[in-house]
Amino acid sequence: MNHLAYLDAGSGSLIVQAVVGGVAGVAVAAKLYWRRLVDRFRKQPTDQH
Amino acid sequence: MAYPDTGLRAEPASFRDPANRVYHHGDEVLRVLDERAAAEWRALAASDFFPALLAEGRVCGTEPVETAPVPEGWAAVLRHERIPFVSHPYEWSHTMLRDAALLHLQILRAALPAGFTTKDGSAYNLQWRGAQPVFIDVGSFTPVRDGEPWAGYRQFCQTLLYPLLLGAHLGLDFQPWLRSRVDGIEPDEMRRLFAGVRRLRPGVFTHVHLHDAMQRRNARASTADVRTQLRAAGYSRELALATVRGLERLVGRLDRQPPASHWIDYQRTCGYSAADRAAKESFVAGSLAAGPRARLALDLGANDGRYARLAADHADYVVAVEQDPAVVDRLYRALRAEGERHILPLVMDLADPSPGGGWRGVERAAFADRARADAVLALAVVHHLAIGRNVPLPEVVDWLAGFGAPGARLVVEFVHPEDPMALRLLANKPDGLFPDYRRDEFERLLGTRCRIENRLDLPSGTRTLYRAVVGG
Repeated sequence: MNHLAYLDAGSGSLIVQAVVGGVAGVAVAAKLYWRRLVDRFRKQPTDQH
Repeated sequence: MAYPDTGLRAEPASFRDPANRVYHHGDEVLRVLDERAAAEWRALAASDFFPALLAEGRVCGTEPVETAPVPEGWAAVLRHERIPFVSHPYEWSHTMLRDAALLHLQILRAALPAGFTTKDGSAYNLQWRGAQPVFIDVGSFTPVRDGEPWAGYRQFCQTLLYPLLLGAHLGLDFQPWLRSRVDGIEPDEMRRLFAGVRRLRPGVFTHVHLHDAMQRRNARASTADVRTQLRAAGYSRELALATVRGLERLVGRLDRQPPASHWIDYQRTCGYSAADRAAKESFVAGSLAAGPRARLALDLGANDGRYARLAADHADYVVAVEQDPAVVDRLYRALRAEGERHILPLVMDLADPSPGGGWRGVERAAFADRARADAVLALAVVHHLAIGRNVPLPEVVDWLAGFGAPGARLVVEFVHPEDPMALRLLANKPDGLFPDYRRDEFERLLGTRCRIENRLDLPSGTRTLYRAVVGG
């Protein structure tokens, strides 16, 4: 259990903070989205079987 | 809610975080902690940054209570400094909200390098000692986990940043927005207000538009999954710090120039002669000095705070209530520059004071439930209520007497119907609408609720001041 999370921090509110953090943050957000994209393509072949 | 045999009363505003809870015990403010929160408190007390914040007065005074029995189910008890008068963010002016937001960010910036963060980011984490903001939610500090953004960012936006954007960029008063919504303004609402080129104003594109878009795109992603993804993508504590620094720079720029306001020049334009003013000041000071020192004094309709300052010589704490946010903002800036710690300026319409809000209507206490005073100033305010707002005169007197327990002092000014200011208000109402609005009737009504100790007709002849004792 995450002891920090008595509050719903909001998924979008967490990601947008990376972007607010400057160039390095934008890179983190881009990496997050890139990984999500790659994961989706990786999952697709197995989903079809 | 009271715990049997312990005399503890639960603070209605403290229930959202199950790890700790605030109770009142007589005049004491106590915070009980569960096992985990108690361990975190020990780590916090042993840190370098927290004692420094305490010593600077930026966090409310906090000490462990070793002697009192710990209520069942809890592991430790802390005692907090008592905040003289609890106020709500929708009673603050723009600059007050901005200073409160900056303090929250400064505290977070001090905590992060030491390995701590705050669990939330609400405007309700802050209170005032006069014109000095103070962070009160000591239970909010918790060890930071590397790779995690600030959990309080959304709350910070909704209750602090967005209201400031409304004021700084659109010239709107934020108070009605915060008063109607305990959780603040949603990004979706802000996006609609900041359409077109307005999205180019500082802070708007990222904290409003991008924030709203991210929320909608990730509505079905759990925060636990997103935290894992962000950590894997390399989100670091340095990035979290950079975000806080960026927010600090932005909030520092969100200044609002007070709009031209009728009330800003009221003291100069309201028609008092120098003789009137001298007589009034001397009467007010004498009235306040006549009885025992007041713990809490209210100045209702405080304007530029001239009489609130007089009251501060005879009271431990003065709450100066004024309807016009621009006037309150100017007063706050002046008090802040003087380092004033005993006068709290608040924005409120006396004919529409803060109601109870939040859960069950008691989470945010109504003004009437907080404002139990030993001294009340109501100078040049009765005619605004009785004529300007059509409040029946007996109601006005009843309301004034209701602020104090028996023995409390009232200093009230009655503006005669022939006075130029009263005539100006009466000119907008049909003739004969207020047959009871007369000096003799006001005095009779005041006498039914109070003992009138002294009265003074100002030299201009159209205003009378009364010193009265409630229930006398």
